This record gives sequence, structure tokens and C-alpha cells, in this order.
Amino acid sequence: MIENSQSIYYPLPQPNEIPEREREDAMGSYLMMFAAVAVALPLPIINLVAAVAYYMVNRRKSRFIHFHTLQSLLSQIPTTLLNWGLLIWAAQIWFFDHLETTNYFWGYLITVGLANLLYFIFSLLAAYYARKGQMYYFIFFGKFSYHQVFSRTKSFKYEGEGDITIENQPPKM
Amino acid sequence: MTFDIKRQESYSRGELLLRTFFGFIYIIIPHAILLLFVGLAASVLNFLSFWIILFTGRYPESWFEFQVKYMKWNIRVNASFFNLVDGYPKFGLNQEHEGVHFDVAYPENISRGSVLLRFFFGWLYVMIPHGLILGILVYAVLIVNFIAWWAVLFTGNYPKSMFDFQVKYFRWSQRVSLYMAYMTDKYPPFTGSFDPEYDLPVTNDSIDENAEN
Repeated sequence: MIENSQSIYYPLPQPNEIPEREREDAMGSYLMMFAAVAVALPLPIINLVAAVAYYMVNRRKSRFIHFHTLQSLLSQIPTTLLNWGLLIWAAQIWFFDHLETTNYFWGYLITVGLANLLYFIFSLLAAYYARKGQMYYFIFFGKFSYHQVFSRTKSFKYEGEGDITIENQPPKM
Repeated sequence: MTFDIKRQESYSRGELLLRTFFGFIYIIIPHAILLLFVGLAASVLNFLSFWIILFTGRYPESWFEFQVKYMKWNIRVNASFFNLVDGYPKFGLNQEHEGVHFDVAYPENISRGSVLLRFFFGWLYVMIPHGLILGILVYAVLIVNFIAWWAVLFTGNYPKSMFDFQVKYFRWSQRVSLYMAYMTDKYPPFTGSFDPEYDLPVTNDSIDENAEN
């Protein structure tokens, strides 16, 4: 770990410093996208609930795990919203519109399908890199998660870190 | 695997009656509600573990520990409901009961071939033979439990042979669960007795570790 006290961010852990257990926990966060399949209940909310639960349980284990669980959780929100939109629209067509679809619906369906496909591919990639102990940044969510987890301005206590009270400060310039 | 339920020297008749008449309300219902949610999480992890093992050959360690804790909670509730131990089963994954010992050694590697075999044919070579015997034995367990109930009520002691019979049943079914949950590669033996090839004895160390947790 390369320590730079001047940096406003905590140093990034390197793959050889991350225990296998942490890597597996980080990888697991991206696999929460299959939670709905696992419980055989195809509701978009299931994956989000699983991701939130996984995040809450694991975030204090280490910064590496915290980063990946947060990124996984945040990246799941837009997909979940898109899927909910599709589900509601499809239900409306099924129950009220006598299965008459419009071009708008098909356009939305294709968009959601593509979004899910992209999400699926990038999540699997992220899971692969997390398993190797590497950082993998999604567009926007990656930077945001990095800032939330590694910024020194954020005070968040991890397991194994004692209560450190900062009393000694450098002189004011 | 370490599985044992300690037979107490004497059992409380009051608790026995309380559990019999109100156990469903104050033990089963609250625990079942919580275990339902924990069980859902366990089944999600179990499903994902299958794929992870296929790709990496390893069961994620913290997931494995979660499954063991979930099983331990279930065993605690069962042991209490079957009057094998006195005392109210504690809520939570990190809790222990001093009379109930359950632990599973973490396997560094799980055979991918064996996992695939279990996934596709587990019902055939595990669930049918073991399920058939356990399915018949459960009736014997219920009858023995009923007889033991009267023995405890009148004498305050649990007849050893009846106690052991039930513990063996639970040990056997636990071995099958472990195997089908991809948590071990060892095929469960057709017995509930202590098997030195499969089981680890309960040692003072393991009891101490449980107490510390």
C-alpha cells in the first residue's frame, strides 16, 4: 500500500495485500443481480433488496469490500427503475390494453433489454476483477463510490480498526 | 462436521409443559419469521455459491460461515422444540446454546465435478436413498419424542437411548443438508452415529470457542 499523507484519499490496497476472503466478499456483491433468479421471484425489487442487504452486512469489513458493494448497489438502482417501468407498462398492456402494444413500448423494451445486458456484462467483469483483488470503475458510479469510500474526509470505521481519536494535528500554516 | 446435543442431567418439567402448550407461539412463530428471511438469504447465497464453485472451485468463506450459522440457529430451535434442551433458543446468527454444538470445517476446495453431479443427479443418489430412510425415521422420531415427553414429565430425566436416537436423526439429516448445499464433498454415511471419517468429536476447545462467540 503506497501511503501518501498529502493525498486527500486513503491509499488503494493492492491485490497482493487483499486476502482472498475479502476478494470473494467483494465479488459477491455483483452477483446479487441474480438474487431474483435464486428465489425464483422475477421482481426487479428483489435484486435491489439483496444488494442493499449485502451492502449493509459487508460494508464495514474493509475499504475494498465497501467500494465494490457500494458501486454494485448504486449501479443497480437505474436498472431496477428501468425494469420497474417496464413491468408496470407491460402489466398495463396485459390487463387494460388488451395486449395492444405501441412502438413506444417496443422502443422502451429494447432500451431496457440493452441496459440490462450492459449491466450484466459489466457486473460480471467487475466481479471478475474484484475476485482478482483489483479495482474496477463503472462510469460515474465508480468515481462516486471511490470518493465515498476512500476520501479522508469521510469518517467510517472498519472492522479491525480501533477507535482512533485524532488529537495531534500539524501546525496551522 | 461436529454435531452434538448435550443431554442434561435433569430437565425442567415446567419448561416442558410450557413448550408443549405454548412453544408454537413463543418459540416457533418468532423464530420462524426471522428464519424465513435469513433462509431466503441463505438460499440466494447457496444458489450463487453453486456458480462460484463451478468457476473458482471454492465456496466463499464468509458465505460458508453464514450458512453454518444459519444451520446452527435452526438446530438450536429444533433441539428446543423437540425438548432435547431446556432454555429458550437465542435469536441471531452469532448466538450459541451451551448444550448444542455444531460446526463445519471450511473446505479450501470443493470438487466442481461433484457439484455438477449433485446439481443434476443429487435427487437420484442422495435425496431418494437418504430421503426415503429419513422420511420413515421421522415417524419413529416423533413416536420416541412422544414417549420421552412422558418420561421427562414423570422423572425429570430424558431416557438416554431415546435422546441419542433423536440426536442421531438430526445429525444424519444435517450431513445430507451439508452435502446437498455443496458445503462438503463427503457423501453422507447411512447412519446418524458418530463417524470418525466424517465427524470431529466435540472437544473442550470447540466448546470454549462456542462460549466465546
